[in-house]
Amino acid sequence: MLAGEIIKHNKTGSLSEEQADNIRRVILPYPTEIWQATVQERSNLFPAAYNTLKAAIIGFLSAIGIGLGLAILLSSSKALKRSLYPWILVIQTIPIIILAPIIAIWLKQGAHSVAVVSFLISFFPIVANTTMGLTSTDKNLLELFAVSKASMLQEILFLRFPYALPHFLSGVKIAAVLAPIGAIAGDIFVGTSAGGQGGIGFLAILYKGDVNTPALYACAALACLMGFLFVGLVNYVQWLLLHNWHESSLDGEA
Amino acid sequence: MVEENAIVQLKKLSKRFDQDQDVLSDIDLEVKEGEFISFVGPSGCGKSTLLRMLAGLTSVSEGALLIDGATPTEPRDDLYLVFQEANLLPWARVRENVELPMKLQGKPKITRQAVADAIVELVGLQDAADRFPRQLSGGMKMRVSIARALSVSPRILLLDEPFGALDAITRNQLNEDLLKIREKDPFTAFFVTHSVAEAVFLSTRIVVLESNPGRIADIIDVPHSYPRTVEFRESPEYFDLLARTSKSLRQQKGESE
Repeated sequence: MLAGEIIKHNKTGSLSEEQADNIRRVILPYPTEIWQATVQERSNLFPAAYNTLKAAIIGFLSAIGIGLGLAILLSSSKALKRSLYPWILVIQTIPIIILAPIIAIWLKQGAHSVAVVSFLISFFPIVANTTMGLTSTDKNLLELFAVSKASMLQEILFLRFPYALPHFLSGVKIAAVLAPIGAIAGDIFVGTSAGGQGGIGFLAILYKGDVNTPALYACAALACLMGFLFVGLVNYVQWLLLHNWHESSLDGEA
Repeated sequence: MVEENAIVQLKKLSKRFDQDQDVLSDIDLEVKEGEFISFVGPSGCGKSTLLRMLAGLTSVSEGALLIDGATPTEPRDDLYLVFQEANLLPWARVRENVELPMKLQGKPKITRQAVADAIVELVGLQDAADRFPRQLSGGMKMRVSIARALSVSPRILLLDEPFGALDAITRNQLNEDLLKIREKDPFTAFFVTHSVAEAVFLSTRIVVLESNPGRIADIIDVPHSYPRTVEFRESPEYFDLLARTSKSLRQQKGESE
């Protein structure tokens, strides 16, 4: 029932005060009601959040590792880039809702598949950004290394990597937002509740069935919290690594 | 300074990027150890290209480029280039930037630190050794760039308009300092510049190039002995050479600026 209709019914007096309030609670609960639901459902919510967090961390870390590896491969040769890149794009362009059943068939439902979905959703920005960073090294600095007779390995370690670092980190930041989303979506499509493995996504489906809107908002709040946690962590690492020298982190001094 | 052996010989040296367009043509030049050669000329005369050929960054199209009587087959350890921009690693402190060429050569950390300390002091940056490039002025950045080049004690130093972006006062100061450094730590210099004053003050010889194609139009000797001080800049001899070089430069056909 739409909010407008409730008001209409209310005006005509066909709904009692209490009925109207119940409907209001389903559509937009008070923050206090969300808090009450969180406390009430804590024995379900927190283990589920823990499961989701675990899947998101595994997905996020693999996205960083594999994303970085792929970016190094892509930037090392034009031929590799031409042959690999389209496939990465293929994976990225298939909607997860279609890809998920295939993953479930290949890997079976379960926490590991949830982590895979989290990875699949979050690795692309790292690949794209890091590749960009690794291939846009300042030409003058490359010449400096040539004059200094630097080896290929030295050039990569002491020039290309540090030069690509800000690009890599902004890819990681996008992935930090996507990894928990991926873990929750994965939970819905390829997760399992067996053995207490269900995550926030699984709970959300249950609460939807119960029309327990306050608890759904609690799920949303937990998902947000997770995203903030991930991004906050990446921001901190970024500050540690860049605040001395990179334009993005300058504080007006010098 | 003993000036006997030719350290660099250019024989009928030519460079073309396209088939029919010569950037440099028939460059003949013999440079003795310890000389300070400046290249001046209109833009597009191939000064920078010449330097890049010496550095091994671009190939010779025709003729010969000999260092110590032989064509260099691989990049040399005793040659270094100072770029147009300071070209520092932004994530590395001054000291780390100075140490970079030694690090790339695989020298042990203790040696690197000792050499870097000495050179940082030589260029007058001891108070800024732990700063990052963004915290330095343009002149200081250039000093770091020169210190970096000196860290490998090069016999040949190539300088590609290193002071072009600096104001006149800083430029004069760095000119004087460059000569002082050279007294302590001698090297043969090839110096590209747009500034006639700079060329006269620093050089043993000034090579005036014309453009389209780049050829040697004139070579002007600067007989004044080293060490050269500020008084040289105020001597009639200096103004004479300034006038001669400017006149020679004016006579060169080139893209008008």
